[in-house]
Amino acid sequence: MADLSIQVRDMDGIAVMQPEGFINAHTVRQFESALEDLVQSGRFTILMDCQGLSYISSAGLGAIMGLIEPIRENGGDILLCNLQRNVYSIFDTLGFTQLYRVFGSREEALQALAGKA
Amino acid sequence: MKAPVAPETFQLTIPSQTRYLNLVTGLAKRASVVAGMDDATASKVSIAVDEAVTNVILHAYHGDSEHWVEIELCFVTKALEIHIWHTVDGLAENEIVLPDPSEYVKHPRKGGLGLLLMSRFMDEVHFAEANGRSECCMIKHVR
Repeated sequence: MADLSIQVRDMDGIAVMQPEGFINAHTVRQFESALEDLVQSGRFTILMDCQGLSYISSAGLGAIMGLIEPIRENGGDILLCNLQRNVYSIFDTLGFTQLYRVFGSREEALQALAGKA
Repeated sequence: MKAPVAPETFQLTIPSQTRYLNLVTGLAKRASVVAGMDDATASKVSIAVDEAVTNVILHAYHGDSEHWVEIELCFVTKALEIHIWHTVDGLAENEIVLPDPSEYVKHPRKGGLGLLLMSRFMDEVHFAEANGRSECCMIKHVR
């Protein structure tokens, strides 16, 4: 099994990113590149479905933080859903749950985004 | 009177390459469970170890893959001690300033989060230098 695989699919104009594996200093470039590709192609609303994410280190959080400004400047956002308990704990410890909208399921996140529209 | 029982220790030495991080974090997580921690706590210990070893590889060794990182897991009474050694200048404990999460939320920036995770997820984090080596020592108590 690869250390990290990332699938991205379009759901009604929302880029749903599904990382599988772990994001740390070894895999972060792959994660960052996937985010950059979305931004460069003008897809600024990104839902990270973290169901398959076993852990994320500060390197991964830094990658998100590094791109959130251009994303929000373009009217988009990064949302998170399906965080495993340990992954939520990492986000929460660093205050990221105040910076990003976190949902229990993909459906909840998509509904919230649809409500916004 | 019985002599004190020496703590049980396990040592692992890895090349200073990020590809081995998952090997180390997996070992740290399993060791935490063996020490008596629950799964959630063991996950926190493994993240702290990831951050500490990443600091050595990327910041102490500047990504140079020709060095070594030594990791020692020490099972002591009601705690797991993790020692991480390298051979160049390390962090000076009295110079470390951890980011304030509330300020971080107001003024987000990239970087500076690894040490904060280590300090939040472990009970003690210390940095020292001795005999030409730099050490990061992290302790998690079993509750």
